[in-house]
Amino acid sequence: MCGIIGYTGQRQASEVIVEALRRLEYRGYDSAGIVIMNPELKLHKRKGELHEMQRTLPKMNGHVGIGHTRWATCGKPSNENAHPFLDCHGRIALVHNGIIENYMALKERLQSEGHIFTSQTDTEVIVHLIEKHDKGDLHQAVRAALAEIKGTYAIACIETGSGNIVAARKENPLVLGIGIDENFVASDVTALLSYTNRVKYVMDGETVVITPEEVTIYGPDGQEVERASQTITWNAEDAQKGGFHHFMLKEIFEGPQAIHNSLLGALDVIENGEILPSVQFGSIKIIACGTSYHAALVGKYVLEELAKIPVTVELASEYRYSPGAKEFPLVVLISQSGETADTLAAAREAKRRGCKTLGITNVIGSTLTREVDEVFYTRAGPEIGVAATKTYLTQLIALYLIAIRIGYAKRNLSHDAMWNALSQLRTMPGAVQTVLDNASEVEASVDLLVPARDVFFIGRNINYPTMLEGALKLKEISYIHAEGFAAGELKHGPLALLDNTTPVVAVALSKDHTYEKMMANISEVAARDSPVLAIGCEGDEELPQVADMVLHVPCVDPLFSPVVVTVVLQLMAYYTALKRGCSIDKPKNLAKSVTVE
Amino acid sequence: MKAVILAAGEGTRLRPFTNSRPKVMLPIGNRPILEYVVNALVANGVRDLLLVVGYKKERIMSHFGDGSRFGANIRYIVQDRQLGTAHALTFVKEMIEDRFLVLSGDNIIDKEMVSTLLELGEGHSVLVTESNEPSKYGVVLLKDDRVVSIEEKPRDRIGNIINTGLYSFEPDILPLMDQGVKVGQYGITQVLRALVPDMHLRAALAKGEWDDAVYPWDLVRLNEIVLENRGQAISGTVEPGVTIKGSVQIGKGTRVRSGTYIEGPVIIGEGCDIGPSSCIFPSTSIGDGVSIEPFVAIKNCVIMNNVVIGGHSHLCQSVVDDNVRLGPGFSCYCGAAYVHLDDGFHNVPKIGCMIGDESTTGARVVISPGCIIGQGCRIGDGAKVSVNVENRSTVI
Repeated sequence: MCGIIGYTGQRQASEVIVEALRRLEYRGYDSAGIVIMNPELKLHKRKGELHEMQRTLPKMNGHVGIGHTRWATCGKPSNENAHPFLDCHGRIALVHNGIIENYMALKERLQSEGHIFTSQTDTEVIVHLIEKHDKGDLHQAVRAALAEIKGTYAIACIETGSGNIVAARKENPLVLGIGIDENFVASDVTALLSYTNRVKYVMDGETVVITPEEVTIYGPDGQEVERASQTITWNAEDAQKGGFHHFMLKEIFEGPQAIHNSLLGALDVIENGEILPSVQFGSIKIIACGTSYHAALVGKYVLEELAKIPVTVELASEYRYSPGAKEFPLVVLISQSGETADTLAAAREAKRRGCKTLGITNVIGSTLTREVDEVFYTRAGPEIGVAATKTYLTQLIALYLIAIRIGYAKRNLSHDAMWNALSQLRTMPGAVQTVLDNASEVEASVDLLVPARDVFFIGRNINYPTMLEGALKLKEISYIHAEGFAAGELKHGPLALLDNTTPVVAVALSKDHTYEKMMANISEVAARDSPVLAIGCEGDEELPQVADMVLHVPCVDPLFSPVVVTVVLQLMAYYTALKRGCSIDKPKNLAKSVTVE
Repeated sequence: MKAVILAAGEGTRLRPFTNSRPKVMLPIGNRPILEYVVNALVANGVRDLLLVVGYKKERIMSHFGDGSRFGANIRYIVQDRQLGTAHALTFVKEMIEDRFLVLSGDNIIDKEMVSTLLELGEGHSVLVTESNEPSKYGVVLLKDDRVVSIEEKPRDRIGNIINTGLYSFEPDILPLMDQGVKVGQYGITQVLRALVPDMHLRAALAKGEWDDAVYPWDLVRLNEIVLENRGQAISGTVEPGVTIKGSVQIGKGTRVRSGTYIEGPVIIGEGCDIGPSSCIFPSTSIGDGVSIEPFVAIKNCVIMNNVVIGGHSHLCQSVVDDNVRLGPGFSCYCGAAYVHLDDGFHNVPKIGCMIGDESTTGARVVISPGCIIGQGCRIGDGAKVSVNVENRSTVI
């Protein structure tokens, strides 16, 4: 899990690379480095966040270079283990994102042949392998080296005295940016948007030769491949903070727009039945990791209610190794980045088992979109904060839309009910905006959570998974131990942990059929002296009698309430972390898209 | 050149529409008022904008971002307590090196306004205009092109030349604003009023469009003005059998169903669902994500985002805020009315109703002209409303 960038053109390469790395920092930030060719290779790398590398960066003139921002997988974060790596003679430099599985064997062999290693990383073997195969043509040397490697990679390398970059990919993201008399290669489109919006995606097994004038893609067989460029409609501003203190807060406030965009592309697709044209399946299995897994759990309730079809939900990392009973569900895979390694592996496994697959992702052209039969794009725009916020909301929207489509196609949802559900969805941007307009109330309420060591989140029915997500958000950015429970499970164990130092966040919506039960659960908790921060409907007068503090959400249909309740929980996590002084956009030990298994 | 845009105020006279957004974010022709100001500046090459924000600032920040979408470079300065416009200027002094513009973000202006101001050159100057209702504004008295006195909202009619709130200043004005604020003069006009006898403040008559929303019903009037001559631009899906006449704009993802009749100037946002068989007459703005059910007639209205209008409804000269759900058979006829606001009664010759954020009505609700329904109200089936309704009230 790292970010890589390469540049060749007329500009000062070091400036382009540092700027691009800044945008790639969400992919990792434990060390960073850069190599510039002019015509010798000049290397600079540092442990720590990007600004540490930038602060110590000497003036480096040159128009060709590569850069890297790292999230350690093999070898701890240190100056030595930071990328880029040079070969023994300092003639070839390389950056890598991925994992080389057979590096121990390769390393021993290369060492016995006299190659000198300077780090503990797996990456370094690639550059020495290239050196070994180098007979004057860097591209051929890279292809020969990669043939010996087992594992996953996106790499970019340069050599002394040449304006070319050679790049390659296998199961890690890589995109080419097409400029005028300059070209780029990067892990992600956001790194390129300041310079160009024309891109070409590189596929698995392909290698690329990049010169300032052109990019040439070669297939696994070594033959040249034609690829049309795509125009990206995001602009660089989308990746800026625009007045907000953190990307996370900016992205929470972009929720209404994200939902609106998500619906825009989809309503016609649903009405015209362009997605899932055939609904010949008797059940659905949703597979995802992390936050997307919680969206999947909400999706189970939604699909069962609207489409009246049985749904199971599995973690991608578990599904892969599960025995797999003899059933042929529609397999829905959810990954914001479309690059989550476990989810991709699950997609391949589902196909191997003969299931039809549908991917839900935010990133057009991502690997997941090529692994599944059909794709549903969430269109939330780029998300930089490591904690998923607006993209989670749009994943929910996607699941509602898919449920409406399947329900209507299977005649389990009447025309009127479909109409009503679509009308409810249209009001979601406004309902979320209302929650955001009252953000200051959430900010005030978190004083209850800030001093806590443990916080429990309880909910029932469709808001049970919502509370799991609330707990995940809180722990990932505020470092408070937080756990979500189905409220009915409290008395089977967790109640023993409660006392006046463990705040409980509870959701009880008066329109929901579990409201009475929730009120009873909240009373149980309050009886143990735990401070209760409750989320309830606008106008609910009973809730304040049992809870210490109440936050109100608009009174939407309970089936759609996870959308608004989640936003409250996201704000809650944000303000708690803010008041605890945490590094919100880059929580420790975490990275945005997890491309390792 | 830099421009300071004052966008921190709430706009209390425009409640209920400013309950959830600052005045500068009120949509006119589906664009916030502030966007007109930003566009006018950018069209004159003024791109470095300092936005003084405060009340509900996130609404502004999430719309404008860093400004690059609008060709501008925006920085935000937070004024937590909105004491006044001179107080707002005390926050920008470190960022100003030479001549700069000051504009209020809540007036609709066009690019001629800004170019008139720029042409004035060095020195302190202000744009003025003639007004039929000078008592709502600051009235200036001139001697040739020099301002000799300023009276804020005078009760007697002393003149009809008013201050538009668009200034061009030299940096040496900023210490004077600081001093003014220290002695309790929180408004720019208050400070200037004390200074004009001794300073040379030039006035120029505004060329171009300048308009201001003071009361909620002004939104309908402004909307009518800005919608003129926008031209036709249709995205989305227009089903066969729809009639579209004149300047009509329809956003992407919107579906206009068969039998619908639209007569421009009309603008419809993105992701709406209109009809079948509804009528939309001039001059109407409809925001994003709005559902208009069959057999609805709408005339001269501002409908904001995510509104649902039930079948067989009739609306005229009205403003409907975000997330409002009107039940079937809603009716609001328009006519002359005495509208009751906190500052007294206003005689409005033609007005429908004003409905705040998130209010809902049951079936067959009738609202008399000039009624203001607050935020989050619930109005039951068959109710007839002929007085203002406070925020979060229930009417049975």
